Amino acid sequence: MFRWGLRQVLQTAAVLLIVSAVSFSVLKLAPGDPVELMLGDEYSPEAHAALVAELGLDQPLPVQYAEWLWRFVQGDWGTSFISRTPIFQYAFVEALPVTLTLAIASLGLAILLGVPLGVLSAVRKDSAWDAGAAAFVLTGTAFPSFYLGILLIWFFGVSLGLFPTMGFVAPWNDLWGGLYHLAMPAITLSTPFMALILRTTRATLVEVMEQPYIAAARARGEPAWRVVWVHGMRNVLMPLVTLLGLQLGSLLHGAVLTETVFSLPGVGRMITDAVLNREYVVVQAGVMMTGCLIILTNLVVDLLYPLLDPRLRPR
Amino acid sequence: MPTDHKQVLATRLATQFGRRRLLRGLGGGAALAATSATPTAAAAGGGHIRLAWIDFVDTLDPHFTGFLGAIKVHNNIYNGILKTVYDGTTVSFVPDLATSWDMPDDRTHIFRLHPDVRFHDGDPCDAEAVKWSMERVAYGKPKSPHAWKFDQLDRIEVLDPLTVKLSMKRPYAFLPVALTGATGRAGTIVSRKAVETYGRDFGRNPVGTGPFRFVSWRENDSIVLEKNPDYFEKGLPKLDRVTIRLMREASSAVAAMLSGQVDGMSNCPLQFVNQLKASPSLTVHGEIEGNYSLITMNCRRAPFDDVNLRRAVAFAIDREALIKQAFFGIGIPAYTPISPPMSGFYDKAIAESGRGQFFDLEKAKAFRAKAKVQDAVEPVFIVTEQGQYGTRVAQTVLPMLEKIGVKAKFELMERAAWVSRRNSGDFDMLETTWSADLDPDETIYPEWHSGENWNFAGWANAEFDRLIEQAQVVIDVKARRDLYVKAEDILMDEAPLAILTHMPEFKILSKKVKGFQFVPNDSLNLHTVHF
Repeated sequence: MFRWGLRQVLQTAAVLLIVSAVSFSVLKLAPGDPVELMLGDEYSPEAHAALVAELGLDQPLPVQYAEWLWRFVQGDWGTSFISRTPIFQYAFVEALPVTLTLAIASLGLAILLGVPLGVLSAVRKDSAWDAGAAAFVLTGTAFPSFYLGILLIWFFGVSLGLFPTMGFVAPWNDLWGGLYHLAMPAITLSTPFMALILRTTRATLVEVMEQPYIAAARARGEPAWRVVWVHGMRNVLMPLVTLLGLQLGSLLHGAVLTETVFSLPGVGRMITDAVLNREYVVVQAGVMMTGCLIILTNLVVDLLYPLLDPRLRPR
Repeated sequence: MPTDHKQVLATRLATQFGRRRLLRGLGGGAALAATSATPTAAAAGGGHIRLAWIDFVDTLDPHFTGFLGAIKVHNNIYNGILKTVYDGTTVSFVPDLATSWDMPDDRTHIFRLHPDVRFHDGDPCDAEAVKWSMERVAYGKPKSPHAWKFDQLDRIEVLDPLTVKLSMKRPYAFLPVALTGATGRAGTIVSRKAVETYGRDFGRNPVGTGPFRFVSWRENDSIVLEKNPDYFEKGLPKLDRVTIRLMREASSAVAAMLSGQVDGMSNCPLQFVNQLKASPSLTVHGEIEGNYSLITMNCRRAPFDDVNLRRAVAFAIDREALIKQAFFGIGIPAYTPISPPMSGFYDKAIAESGRGQFFDLEKAKAFRAKAKVQDAVEPVFIVTEQGQYGTRVAQTVLPMLEKIGVKAKFELMERAAWVSRRNSGDFDMLETTWSADLDPDETIYPEWHSGENWNFAGWANAEFDRLIEQAQVVIDVKARRDLYVKAEDILMDEAPLAILTHMPEFKILSKKVKGFQFVPNDSLNLHTVHF
């Protein structure tokens, strides 16, 4: 167990190191210069040179990377060039909870609605329900989420005035206010996932329901709900968990658009702004956080497999 | 015989701005009508205003900003030695932290300060504090990007605890603009104690003397200000609290505005203006300000090292059509860089005068026939979606240029790359705007004098340089205007730019918001605002 843990930690560290080096160099090699942007209309070659030296951007690229890495592993995330805030505060304390809240709410919504609807359309295969669900799956996966967000804003926010169109209220400070503000962003972000979950649940369950052990369970006279939810769903969970693990990345990049449309101060907006402003250190912090998040989820998924499928348990 | 130098300066500034009233479109008038038509329902005082801020805020340290979006916030936290006021007809510069302003000769300014002004941290704002703050701009390290405004400063002396004397090396007509707390930035007074306490973090912990104190700034979310109960202008401010929502995405801000989740917008892209004007619950403020949009042509390399080709481009663009298609019908055609608000210098009848650049396809074709290269040319036109007008200007101009055999090749890039290409001169054409200028010097000198930082076209003309240098030290408006007419004629004829339009800057407020005093310098001052 200890060796397994050690291997996981080393693997994670290696992946993060590669990710950080790649994102650092890609951004550095992209055309554009943060100092020119920071100076705005007050640009002059002297001011430029002074600021470059002050920020240490005149160092060779590998030196800048090494310096950043050394500080980062010591827990010093640096300071944003533009806002002059400590990046740890900005990225980890302020932005990350917003994105996590949005992601958890969206994922929760997607599972709570996607799974039952998937079950329903599998059980009532080829009914009107099923056709409706298929139409939802098609539009849900094909519809661009930012556009859905804008439509929701205009319909429910502006025309009907039912929901707030912007801003984040922390649910841990104000539960109802938080959920109220989260409603439209969470619907926007969760729609494509809901569609995916629905489709996977339905497809897997339809197959499972034709298995002999289901017929046996029915023959034993077990109630229908038990056949579906206990015997059937057990085998649906595996592909579902795999799907969620794999889709976390797209959930995070969906968050970028959702956060921009709804003006949420999360990691996605932080990274977009930082990329546009060429704020290397902020982007690095964002990449490291999302990288860790994805690795962590994959780890959780790996750990869940043996729980869900006895055949995968070590003997 | 002693000359009243202050009077000379005041006259000059008054004439410069006096004619604004003729050009006031929708803004000020609409605001006055709105306030008088709707009786104030609630008693004045109190309230929490929420504003959508779509412009970029870089820092709340006024001496280190390069962005108008930040200056709009600064005006509510700090005071200047002078301020810009607008009575609905004339813009003038009057004492703000000062109670009086005297000019014993044309290069000495004496300011008597208001007694009992305190910074938000309780420190007195006296002559020493003012001297320290101005010297921070003039000589501070790291160097303030606004230090050039004090290039002509000889020394600052404290005559007594409430009197400051500024001695300049030569008469400097631009000084009043530089000393306002608004776009001037150099005369904005900051707390020495706070700067010394916070160091480089002062921009996130601003301490001034203004009507509102800083409370918090959460990245990408909001900046919160609260009433300064000890503000020196009695009875002000009226609001208790100000929340500035940092939105960036204009369509989200418009949605928030229309659904009543915010009470105002700091700015508004042209594509939303007509929609917002149609809303009965909103007031749209906006008039033509000191600005011009243009296409810069790179004179340092082929094909635009050829003056006739540049002239052909300048006359091939149909400004009326451009305004309709790319500017949503908002704005007026520009003939030269000097814009209507600079009324001492702007020629009202410029359209009929034959001066400057305008659409004349025959003329354009005649110049094209004289160009060195007669085959089709394919200049590189760099375009960024994050510019003020997106890609619309470039797209509209493209077919106009094809008529004279100029097939511009678009290169669409994001802003950081665009700025890099512009600054390094790696382009043939680009579209841009110069804005928030209150004086012809600011409008012409840094942009077109040879070797200046903003002269991205790389254009140089010795006679032009001589004329605008001379115009800097001449105080008499008529003599100065003659110099600028000659200089502009050279500039427009040699055409390192194709000038396009002058535009309004917009501020949107809910009709619930009362008491807003519009000043046409792209500011959003909340001193007198209430519900």
